[in-house]
Amino acid sequence: MWNEKKLWDKRRSDYWAMAVKYLRLIANSGFLFTIYLLFVFGSYYYGQFLEWLPETFPAVLFFTALFSWFITRGRVRTFAKTGDLFFLTPREGKMAPYFRSSIIYSWLMETFYMAFLLLILAPLFFDRIHPSGSLLLSIFLLLSGLKWWNLASGFEEQRIQEQSRYRLHTVIRAGLNIVTVYALFSVQPIWLIGGLAAFLLIFYFAYFYKLSKTHSLKWDRLVDIEDQTVMTFYRIANSFTDVPALKSKVRPRNWLSFLFRFVAYKQGNVYRYLFSRAFARSNDYFGIYIRLTLLGLLFLFVVQLDWGRWLIAAAFAYMTALQLETLRHHFNMSSMVELYPGQEQGKFESHKFWVQVLGSFQTVIFGVFTTVLYGPVNGLVVLLLAAAVYFYHSSVRLGKVYGNASGAAE
Amino acid sequence: MEPILKVDKLSGGYQRSRPVLHEVSFAVKKHEIVGLIGLNGAGKSTTIKHILGLMEPHSGEVRLSGKTWAKNRDEYRQSMAYIPEMPLLYEEMTLWEHLELTAMAYGLDEKTFKERAEALLKEFRMEKMGNWFPSHFSKGMRQKVMIMCAFLVSPALYVADEPFVGLDPLGIKSFLDRMLEMKERGCGILMSTHILATAEKYCDRFILLHNGRIILQGTLGELQEQAGMPGSDLDDIYTEMTKEDNHVE
Repeated sequence: MWNEKKLWDKRRSDYWAMAVKYLRLIANSGFLFTIYLLFVFGSYYYGQFLEWLPETFPAVLFFTALFSWFITRGRVRTFAKTGDLFFLTPREGKMAPYFRSSIIYSWLMETFYMAFLLLILAPLFFDRIHPSGSLLLSIFLLLSGLKWWNLASGFEEQRIQEQSRYRLHTVIRAGLNIVTVYALFSVQPIWLIGGLAAFLLIFYFAYFYKLSKTHSLKWDRLVDIEDQTVMTFYRIANSFTDVPALKSKVRPRNWLSFLFRFVAYKQGNVYRYLFSRAFARSNDYFGIYIRLTLLGLLFLFVVQLDWGRWLIAAAFAYMTALQLETLRHHFNMSSMVELYPGQEQGKFESHKFWVQVLGSFQTVIFGVFTTVLYGPVNGLVVLLLAAAVYFYHSSVRLGKVYGNASGAAE
Repeated sequence: MEPILKVDKLSGGYQRSRPVLHEVSFAVKKHEIVGLIGLNGAGKSTTIKHILGLMEPHSGEVRLSGKTWAKNRDEYRQSMAYIPEMPLLYEEMTLWEHLELTAMAYGLDEKTFKERAEALLKEFRMEKMGNWFPSHFSKGMRQKVMIMCAFLVSPALYVADEPFVGLDPLGIKSFLDRMLEMKERGCGILMSTHILATAEKYCDRFILLHNGRIILQGTLGELQEQAGMPGSDLDDIYTEMTKEDNHVE
């Protein structure tokens, strides 16, 4: 039997099935390794940062601003689809279980993010606000409750059609949040906090809850909110892998056309030609390449240990190579490529060619940069290591990737 | 004389258990435009996919200048150009680059490529759009790019799937004029279409496909004779032949 709760469960699991695929790709793309690096270096520099931070740093205001923003932002995730405007509106009166699930789900997710944020900031909290762990935990629980209030109120608030009034409500919520969050982080007495909580509850039942009796759901807005959430996720995923749903614009990038001169006009060069255009103009191959290169340079600049820099150079070269690897699928959906004569062997060779060319550029950039900052010996080691990584990737790993695929679907 | 394209007792489809085509046989000779006609779902696109070598026949075979795809892939592909129903363009490549890539893929020398490409751009009134990306093209312009790519290769056989969709009247005329010119030069052309009035005017022979079988084939005169409808036009014959089938069902 079809019912609203089942529909919600189905949509949630569909979304996660999709999201998990991307999360796995993100995890495989060297992202976890970057996080790990950040963690290792971050924890080292965190302590130094706290010592460096002047005594006058307004920690309470900082926490208030950050968490007020965090609690006001974010709306209930409803998984609404465009088709609902037609198919679900007749059942709007029976949709309460559906939206209850949505609110619970959104609250759990937001609480999880908040726990993460608070965990990162915990050392700062202990150092500057209060050294008690149980106080931090109580604040966390109360913030989570406040988040619940915001999601529930925010959901009723979307029923207001007029955009300016809708915004005004959000601003009022933000104001109440600032007061409450400040009370929490400045450790006000219990009675005051209790009073604020009581006020918020009364406000919800006396005002927001009543909106649901007099105003209909604004489905357009729900679909918008949902689309924005999904798009944000896609955009994040897109910086690690290719997201087909996110048809990002093609950019001409004429200044990159010097790359095209590496491709001579001849029959065997069809894939070299295709890959050069794909890399320079489409999606974010070039964007990721540049970002990883710049990030690599930043790390090379910051890290003070010789072997640390060597590791950084090799790691960033490898992550870049893994990203270039995804070019392989770029023309999979194009049936015209299949029709060209004589292209059976060319794809792998062309891909390898571009990994080597682009790898050489990056290697030289890393090498020269390190030489300038830390002398020629260091520069040479970095150069050789990055070159070795690209040599390994293009002559061993890439071949395996293609080899495995030829046995399977391709 | 050996036909350019020979389809012999071709049965095929996506699943062996559910063939779409049943023993389809026909040929396209030099100096000939053949119209492939049928309702939606009659099997036109499947037939074309088999001819392109994108699907393997369950039984029967397709020969292009005497060669099968399985034995001579490159020569087979080399002697044919395809104009798809939906323009298949590379979003990250300019119009000129589409032409250049096609010329490279089919092994044209650079000089021939430039001569032909410039002439084609002129004829299809797209000289100014050489550096444009497909996102700026209308449906008709996209279709023109596909048509230009096909003419650029100048192969022995053209396979066109609903080539008129989205083209403006001048575009249709340029396309048909070129087709006639290619026919004069000795090419064979297989064209699937729903626009029967145009087909009747330009095609030398017709293949009427229905539920995966050929129900009639021949010149307009032969079709009239087979259908027992002397003097009627293609539209009437087509309607009549498919109506009969509705009665049976």
